[in-house]
Amino acid sequence: MKPELLSQLLADVEQKRSVVLCTDLASGAARLVHPYAPEAGVDPALVAACREAADADRSQKWDGPGGTVFLRVFHPPVRLVVVGAVHIAQSLGRMAQLAGYDVLVVDPRRAFATEQRFLGIPLSTEWPDEALKRIGVDRRTAVVTMTHDPKIDDPALVAALRSDAFYVGALGSKKTQEARRERLRRQGFPEAELARICGPVGLPIGAVSPGEMAISILSQLVEKLRKPAGSKPA
Amino acid sequence: MSADDIYHDALVRLSREATGAGRLEAPGGTAVVDNPLCGDRVTVDVRLEGGKVAALAHEVRGCLLCQASAAILGRLGPGSTGEEIAAAREGLVAMLDGAPPPAGRFAELAVFEPVRSVKSRRRCAVLPFEALGEAIARAGR
Repeated sequence: MKPELLSQLLADVEQKRSVVLCTDLASGAARLVHPYAPEAGVDPALVAACREAADADRSQKWDGPGGTVFLRVFHPPVRLVVVGAVHIAQSLGRMAQLAGYDVLVVDPRRAFATEQRFLGIPLSTEWPDEALKRIGVDRRTAVVTMTHDPKIDDPALVAALRSDAFYVGALGSKKTQEARRERLRRQGFPEAELARICGPVGLPIGAVSPGEMAISILSQLVEKLRKPAGSKPA
Repeated sequence: MSADDIYHDALVRLSREATGAGRLEAPGGTAVVDNPLCGDRVTVDVRLEGGKVAALAHEVRGCLLCQASAAILGRLGPGSTGEEIAAAREGLVAMLDGAPPPAGRFAELAVFEPVRSVKSRRRCAVLPFEALGEAIARAGR
């Protein structure tokens, strides 16, 4: 790889931009394509192929007009925003980090959101809508609410639903979920949008402890990421 | 009395009025005060003239009690001195602890009487007063 290409690639990785390294398998010639912000003048078919590989998060070969090209996908880490500095968040945050995700725990209740309780996990005491606006929620961001306080959870869910977040989860019993759906309905969200909320959050594995619930939530997150409804498994 | 009962009509009306909501362009003092247990957060901008509040604005992220209290301050704050605000705050705290509502200008604080029975929510009603007091102190320096 030419040094300039490597520098650009490293810059993209550092600045958390998705990029695809396209290498012509016959000649070895390589170029970078930004699938979500393609440069002008790039063959649209190549951009589309890069976009498909990026969306699926799967590096793969592509038979282009000039020959076979290998598309190597580089994505920034998946991000998980946990709203609620509660027990489950303590487990979920650490487990998500171990899984290779960037984690941010948000809770305006400073008594809960302490460094001692969340050692090594990025914390914010902003209100969730403020935090989500600041970081920018995209298709590689997951948002899970668990404060049990609608005052704090609802704004987070509203912001998440208005974004492309791939996973929106809400802790709470079936009764709580219905009350929440009703509140969001009154704010104008159609049923299709409300259906995006996974609630009660987590795969139904009978989880009991905060650690087990974190596992069920993380598993559901991975499933949503790798097997989004209506597409082939990534 | 449960936590739900404290949200009576007068408080709902006040929070909807939201008198004074916003920011000031050139405040003399600003303060941000939050309740670490519930996350309520009040930002108050104030401008003093001749030792009295000439203008004030508040930004509230918080529960209905906090919003209602800020709305009362938005209406009754202008024209008050720092001492009057501090006295109103003390009167509110005392009332929440069982004393009769304050007399005079801030008698309206009686709307928070039901909050007496829900100890965990008392500070929510007082928070805007704390923020205004601190903003006034900073404006005075």
